[in-house]
Amino acid sequence: MDTNLAGIQSTLHAASGSGAALIHELSMVLFAGATLILLIVIGLVMYGIASGPRRIVIRHWIIYGGLVFPIVTLSALLAYSLSIGNSLDVHAPSNALRIQVTGKQWWWEVRYEMPDNAPAVVLANELHIPIGQPVEILLTTSDVIHSFWVPALAGKVDMIPGRINRLVIRSDRPGVYRGQCAEYCGGQHALMAFHLVAQPDEQFRSWLARQAQPASIPDDPSLKSGYELFFRGGCAECHTVRGTPATGQLGPDLTHIGSRRSLGAGLLGNHVGTMAGWIAGAQDLKPGNRMPSVNAYTGRELRLVAAWLASLE
Amino acid sequence: MKYEIHRKRGFLLAAAGAIALVLVGIGGGFVILLSGALSTDATTQHFRLTHRILDAGLRFSVRNSSRSIVAPTLTDPAMVMRGLSCYRQHCVQCHGSPGSAQSDAAKGLLPIPNSLAESAREWPPESLYYITRKGVRMTGMPAWEFRISDEGLWSTTAFLMTLPLLTPERYRQMEDASLSESCPPARDGSTFSTDRADMLLRQYACHSCHRIEGIVGPNSHVGPALSDWSRRRYIAGILPNTPENLVRWIRDPQSVSPTTLMPDLGVDEAHARQMAVYLMALK
Amino acid sequence: MTRLAFVTACMILGACARQDSYQPQVPGGDAQRGRIALRQHECGVCHLIPGIHAARGYVGPPLTTFAMNVYVAGKYPNTPAYLVRWIMDAPALAPETAMPALGVTEAEARDMAAYLYTLE
Repeated sequence: MDTNLAGIQSTLHAASGSGAALIHELSMVLFAGATLILLIVIGLVMYGIASGPRRIVIRHWIIYGGLVFPIVTLSALLAYSLSIGNSLDVHAPSNALRIQVTGKQWWWEVRYEMPDNAPAVVLANELHIPIGQPVEILLTTSDVIHSFWVPALAGKVDMIPGRINRLVIRSDRPGVYRGQCAEYCGGQHALMAFHLVAQPDEQFRSWLARQAQPASIPDDPSLKSGYELFFRGGCAECHTVRGTPATGQLGPDLTHIGSRRSLGAGLLGNHVGTMAGWIAGAQDLKPGNRMPSVNAYTGRELRLVAAWLASLE
Repeated sequence: MKYEIHRKRGFLLAAAGAIALVLVGIGGGFVILLSGALSTDATTQHFRLTHRILDAGLRFSVRNSSRSIVAPTLTDPAMVMRGLSCYRQHCVQCHGSPGSAQSDAAKGLLPIPNSLAESAREWPPESLYYITRKGVRMTGMPAWEFRISDEGLWSTTAFLMTLPLLTPERYRQMEDASLSESCPPARDGSTFSTDRADMLLRQYACHSCHRIEGIVGPNSHVGPALSDWSRRRYIAGILPNTPENLVRWIRDPQSVSPTTLMPDLGVDEAHARQMAVYLMALK
Repeated sequence: MTRLAFVTACMILGACARQDSYQPQVPGGDAQRGRIALRQHECGVCHLIPGIHAARGYVGPPLTTFAMNVYVAGKYPNTPAYLVRWIMDAPALAPETAMPALGVTEAEARDMAAYLYTLE
């Protein structure tokens, strides 16, 4: 769906204030230093050729060129990279936002715990974070090893069965970033992506408040029939829609599916057409994933179900 | 030794000549075909020789194919009357009857359908039965085994055997008397049942509108191509593609979509099931 | 020689003996823009469309030989006018269809139609 990933999924376009920006800076320093040294060596070779044979003090070259220079340069680089590593390993303050992300074959479950015992906001394949503050992401998996990677924001962190790994991310630049599983996790590993939306705190809060709302049973007759067909087709066996009797746990929570940027974990855009196509042809689009190609609906019914789901914004 | 070499060379020359002749023949055939000089219209008659060769081929082929057929007794008057009812319903249009010519459409056919009054004199009943049942390709003669029951086919044969003996007046009398009879259709009998689903698809003329994997036809784009059918998720964009729905669609498409161009072909349940199995096996 | 081989090959296929006298033209439609529009609207989620990346869906019919097809949706003559209407709002033409109205503009629909008519 995303045709140009340069702006949203590239370490070369790291967001300011993010860990990826530090990593990018380190890479650039290494690259520039290596280029400089290469140029000096080439210059010496050229000079040596041009000036013809003459006597040199071999010992000086070995001591200064072969020992002193590398020791000084590499030590400085070590100190610098350690300091970068140190600033990457930030600990979020105890009141920082925490988001749980669980890797699944082949999608991402995203969970925001809510205060006052309110039900958690659970969604899939999309994270929102406020800009300008560290956010702690708790990473785990319910099946095999995955790796959480948003190239423009941070390095990769593996998601390992039975463990919770932590990653603190921060972005000072609002925007939509794309992440991808970075550890081979089975047949559709390549089609396991997600979006991360960094937005001003106020927008983030209103987004979260909206996501916390349960879905309501629609009044519009055609949406209502879509709603009923959702249950008739057995969708509720696997999917939860908060505020309705659908409490399935196997597949993604669909309470606000219509608000998301993608379907099928970054595979498709999200509109009534891709919704219908995904419902009826999930196995054609992403073979082996747990969503069946549903054959319970006539053509018209398929449109109605897709329209109801698309209306859950 | 020398003689042997010469013999070998002679043999090689002869072989090369034969191959060259074959190639020239094939090439010439292509040239004639591609030039468009061959007439395909139905008003230019065949060369007498062509017609004789084709006719002889038909006779040898039918004799060979009907060898193992044993005719039942064909003299029962009731059977003859039933055969006349088939003749009246299905044959007179093209073959005419004593004292009446064939219809206009049949008058323009090439080869021209012959008068069947002569047929009983030159063909044994087994051959008449065989031709009626299986048809003759590249002529207008269809295979009736899928439309008329086996009993009906033998009754027709029985009638054909009596046809040379009828005056126009006698034919009309019998025709009037046969109006209460009707030709037994294959569907009520056992003839139109075949395990070969591709035969069913062809005999319901599916390939006149659909390109169907495994069936040679006119490469039509009127209906959708029926290839990789098992992968299709919907039938006509309306019904989920399950075997049950496919049977339903084949049998009565208008009940699913009143405005569809797909006609109701009167396919019975068993046949629709076989067709569905065939289509669902197309990966 | 190559020409002869070509002629022979398509004789066997029976393809080049065919001369299509009907060449639909879509007024204002641009096939190249249509290709992009088909991709942007993700038509390939449901349809197999030659020349469009990842268009391998099987929910709708394959559009492989669309220019040759005589009818749209088994209901309407395959003319630019019907096709453009169908692309814009299929349910209006066939209430039972699975194909939704996707908010395609008329200009986009013309471009898409122009592209589909290049598929033979």
